[in-house]
Amino acid sequence: MMSGDRRQETGDRIVKALLFGLAILLLWTAPCFAHKVNLFAYVEGKTVYTESYFPDGRAVVNGKIEVFDTDKTLLLKGQTDSEGLFHFVIPKYDSMTIVLDASMGHKTTYRINRQELGE
Amino acid sequence: MEKILRYTFLTALFLTTSLPAWAHFGLILPSDDIITQGENRTLNLQIKFIHPLEQHSMEMVKPRAFAVVHRGTSQDLLETLQPQKGKSSDQAEEFTYWTADYTIKRPGDYTFHVEPTPYWEPAEDLFIVHYTKVCVQAFGLGESWDQPVGLETEIVPLTRPYGLWVNNLFSGQVLLKGEPVAFAKIEIEYLNESADNPSIVTAPSDPYVTQVVKADGNGVFHYAMPRAGWWGFSALNEADWTLKHEGVDKAVEIGAVFWVRTREMK
Repeated sequence: MMSGDRRQETGDRIVKALLFGLAILLLWTAPCFAHKVNLFAYVEGKTVYTESYFPDGRAVVNGKIEVFDTDKTLLLKGQTDSEGLFHFVIPKYDSMTIVLDASMGHKTTYRINRQELGE
Repeated sequence: MEKILRYTFLTALFLTTSLPAWAHFGLILPSDDIITQGENRTLNLQIKFIHPLEQHSMEMVKPRAFAVVHRGTSQDLLETLQPQKGKSSDQAEEFTYWTADYTIKRPGDYTFHVEPTPYWEPAEDLFIVHYTKVCVQAFGLGESWDQPVGLETEIVPLTRPYGLWVNNLFSGQVLLKGEPVAFAKIEIEYLNESADNPSIVTAPSDPYVTQVVKADGNGVFHYAMPRAGWWGFSALNEADWTLKHEGVDKAVEIGAVFWVRTREMK
C-alpha cells in the first residue's frame, strides 16, 4: 500500500508527464498552422502533373491525392512521392478538381478546366 | 544688369541645390506581386526611370538586359520589351518607357531584373546605372526570394518582399560584387502612381521626398513603410569603372534598386 506522500508524488509525476506530453504535442503541431499546403497542377500531352509543397519549397511527402470530375465522382486516387510529385493520365475529358489531403487537417484543392486538357 | 546677374546666380544656385532631392530610381512595376489560383497568369511589367514621388519620368533607351530568375534558372526577356510613350501631368514632353508581358506557368518566386543602358546626368556630371529588381510570387511557393541573382550590385531582401502590410519593416542587405556594403546609403521613395494609393502625396519639403537610411556594418538596412502602394529602395555606390562622355572619363553611379508593395490591413 502507498503512503499519502507516495501517492502525492505519483500524482505529481503523472501531471508532469501529461504536461510534458502536451507541450511536445503543441510544439509539434503549432508550426504546422504556419505551413499551409499548396497544390499546383498542369497538363502536358495526355498527362496531368501535380506538385504538392509547403510555402518554403519543402515537398509534401505521402500526401493523399484524389481527383474528382464535375459531378464530384471520384476518378482516381494516388499518393505524392518524396518530391511531392504525382502524375496521372487524363482520366476523363472534363473539368476536374484535384484534392490534396496532407493529414492533420491540411487540405487544399486545385481545379483544372476542360480547355486546359486540349483535344 | 547687376540685378539680372544676381537673379541668374540665385536661380542657378537654387536649381543646383534642389536637384539632388529628386532622386532617380529605376522601376520595374509588375501588374501584380502575388499570383494565385484562378487569377490572370499574364503579368504586365512597366520599366521606367523616374522620380517616384514627384511622378517625373526620364527618357529611357532600351535596357541592356532584362531577365527573370525562377527556381535558379534565368530566362532572357530582353526581346519581349516594347517601347511606350508617356508623361506626367506637369511634364511638357513625352518620354519613353518599356513594357513587357510575361506569362507565369509554374509555382515559385519570379525575380525580374533590369540592367539599363547608362544614363548621362549632366546635373550630377556622372552616368547612372540602376540595377533594378522586383519579386513576384506564384501559387504559394516562396522558395528563393532571399537569393541574390548575381548582379554587379543588388539588394537581397531579408524581409519576404511580397504579402507586406502597411507599416511593415522592410529589411535588406546591400551587395556589391557579392560582398556586403558596410554603411551603404539607401534612398527610399514612395511611388505616387501606385494603384493602391488613395490620393497623391505632396511632400511638405524636400527631405520628405526621398527618405534616407544607412546600412549597418554588414550592409543591412531597415525601413517601415507608412502607406499602401509600391516602395522603392535604392542603394547607391560609385562603380570602379568609368565611362566616356564627349571623350572625358566620367564616374558611374551604380544603384541597387528593389521594389516592394504594401497593402492596407482591412
